[in-house]
Amino acid sequence: MQHFAQWLQATPLSIAIQSTSWLIPLLQSIHIVMIGLVFVAVLLLVLRVLGLARTDELPSVVWSRFAPWLRRGVIVLALTGLVLIISEPVREFTAISFWLKMLLLALGLSAIAVLGKALRRDAPASRGLAVLTLLVWIAVIFFGRAIAYDVEVWGALSFKA
Amino acid sequence: MTLHDLALAVGNSGVGAWMRSNLHAMPVVEATHVLAAATVLGTVLVVDLRLLGFTDRKRAVTVVSREMLGFTWAGFVLAVITGVMMFAANANTYYGNTAFRIKLLLLAAAGLNMAIFNLGALRSVVQWDLQQRTPRAARVAAALSVLLWVSVIFVARWIGFTKGYDFAVPDNVDLDLTIP
Repeated sequence: MQHFAQWLQATPLSIAIQSTSWLIPLLQSIHIVMIGLVFVAVLLLVLRVLGLARTDELPSVVWSRFAPWLRRGVIVLALTGLVLIISEPVREFTAISFWLKMLLLALGLSAIAVLGKALRRDAPASRGLAVLTLLVWIAVIFFGRAIAYDVEVWGALSFKA
Repeated sequence: MTLHDLALAVGNSGVGAWMRSNLHAMPVVEATHVLAAATVLGTVLVVDLRLLGFTDRKRAVTVVSREMLGFTWAGFVLAVITGVMMFAANANTYYGNTAFRIKLLLLAAAGLNMAIFNLGALRSVVQWDLQQRTPRAARVAAALSVLLWVSVIFVARWIGFTKGYDFAVPDNVDLDLTIP
């Protein structure tokens, strides 16, 4: 993995992104704006399951209101994230927080898909799963930011230590 | 007391010292700041898109905004607290940082825009609460709000890339020679 990261970091594409000074802050900014969209979509879907928001609307209506935000937001997050990974693969692949974020992201996406299945049919969804889904997405945001601080967060456990 | 004195006082406070001495402080506070900012932006967007008539067209403006208001304020308060903590860690650097100053101006502009909307167009909301097409003043306020809050995020991210390098070196100074 270390070799792959070093190879990727030395590719012309990676070097081109690294050397365009405004590109990384721009992509990170878009990434954060999309986190706002996706997080609030998850928040409102979870609150609907818990009966704490939009109770005047059917669950399926709330789902069709926020599923597009979720879908499009996740696509833009994946694209901007991919370019950011290509620009600094060694920094990302050697960070524990990066891998933990990817694992939690897979869990978060699966959990919201399960909730979505129930919401779409106006069927009751697990309240425990709803709370867990929100916590997982909060953790995804936390570990995303923690990638830049792997040694500080993980200490001797970090591969970078 | 000048603004700079105030900035230095924040930096020299116990919070500043704690932020600098605690290894976990910066990542945890920064991550919380991102979460808070995401909440503010997302919830503001829900209301703005309703005002612009793009989403939630059948829901009353007041219902949509009241539902989001608590989250927006909770996120904003959390963002201010974590923001002051990050500022305290490097007060002097942030104080002199142009991107940081622009961010504060944009935040003030976003607040002013919201105040004008609350004291102006929103006062007659009973007349257009359920209308898909809101008055022009409301749509202008919503569009400005989207623009300003997205700009705040962009400029904020820029701070991290200019912090510490945000100075112009005079032509006649050779930096290499100034290092002993």
